[in-house]
Amino acid sequence: MTLLFKRLTQCLALLSCLLLPTFFATAAPIPVTAELNVEFSLPKIDTTMYARPYVAVWIENSKRKSVRTVELWVGKDEWLKDLRSWWRKVGRYDRALVDGVTSATRPAGDYRFTWDGLDNDGNRVAAGKYTFYVEVVREHGGRNFIRQKMTLGDKPFSHTIAPTEETGDIRINYLIK
Amino acid sequence: MSTRNKLKVLGLACTVIAGLAATTTANAHPRWVLPSHFTVSKEGGDWLTFDVTASHGTFVFDKPAGSEFAQVVMPDGRKERPNFVIRGKRRSIFDFYFEEEGTHKVAINNVPSYYTAYKAGRRDTVKYVKANKAERANILPEKVRDVSTQLSYTRAESYVTVGMPTEKALEIEGKYLEMRPLTHPSDIVEGEEVSFQFFFNGEPQTGVVADITREGTLYRNHQEQINVVSDKDGNVTFTPNVAGRYLMKANYKGELKNDPMADKASVNVHFTFEALLQ
Repeated sequence: MTLLFKRLTQCLALLSCLLLPTFFATAAPIPVTAELNVEFSLPKIDTTMYARPYVAVWIENSKRKSVRTVELWVGKDEWLKDLRSWWRKVGRYDRALVDGVTSATRPAGDYRFTWDGLDNDGNRVAAGKYTFYVEVVREHGGRNFIRQKMTLGDKPFSHTIAPTEETGDIRINYLIK
Repeated sequence: MSTRNKLKVLGLACTVIAGLAATTTANAHPRWVLPSHFTVSKEGGDWLTFDVTASHGTFVFDKPAGSEFAQVVMPDGRKERPNFVIRGKRRSIFDFYFEEEGTHKVAINNVPSYYTAYKAGRRDTVKYVKANKAERANILPEKVRDVSTQLSYTRAESYVTVGMPTEKALEIEGKYLEMRPLTHPSDIVEGEEVSFQFFFNGEPQTGVVADITREGTLYRNHQEQINVVSDKDGNVTFTPNVAGRYLMKANYKGELKNDPMADKASVNVHFTFEALLQ
């Protein structure tokens, strides 16, 4: 009986030795110095009823689950639902998160912000495939929904996203300092 | 015109009239509800308004179906009445203040109605009388044949979600025809597959026929409806390719066994939902 138990523990130890490295390999976080810099712009739109757009910028993992809302430029919470995709995937599940990340709407112009590579709970995300999302919606105006796939690891990269009706030039730069 | 031709014309006219009569009885104006919004993000809640009507066009107001029986199933399952009810000439409306987090079911279900069809006398004309199986013996003439009583029941319903979606209000009550959304009503998105499950008296029901039509039938030449029939588990699956508001009209016709009130049933669920933009 004792012998059998001993064998079993040996087997388990061997198994965990084999499995642990692969487990860690998939769950290894991105480098501490990694960050995603975003150059973002809202175009000047000449129209009789211009209202500053509502903007949501967020990151989803390969399972299409949101890991972090990076920017949320909104006004009254009554209209949060008009950011259709962001509201359905993120906003409706967590009022506290919404309150924490909300900032005021902004006029046309160029902006810069940075995602520090942390998820909504403050943990550094694992290396792997992610999608960068931008949703912009304007009262009396249009809506644009932008997706950019990206691989976060130890290699820096940049992507340029073409302008749309409601967004100007967008450039994302993944840097490892 | 010869006598023979005259007879022919008369015969044709009779067929046309009979045809018209048949279509009117088969297709009473479907009754439905249209919410002003399906989603509430405002903290502290918000007023929503509902239109209730019966019409052949999708979201075209026609007959003033009542909202007196309207109820809101709250996220915890309890039932509330609407705050304001008004009946106009082409629709009725009601308002409700949605403030509890979660999914609400809005239902306007009339009481079941029973009609008995029968033939009597020399002619084979089918006659109808408003009576159930228990009442019909006292009403029908003595020499009567081909007697059959039908139960009719229609649910007009929709869902509204405040903040985080919940499941409790989606539960069925086990009566007549019911639709249980397998895809949550607040997660219906253009281009993505949707699944619903049909139940008759609480059991999964095969053979439920449903058509699903997007709003705006007035402004296009064809209905462009999606037709589905429930499988052996009562399930239907379809994909709304365009975002917008949709009406699903589902019907089940079947024999009733050992039912003291009716021999057969024709029961409906008229369900209004939105398919969101990607």
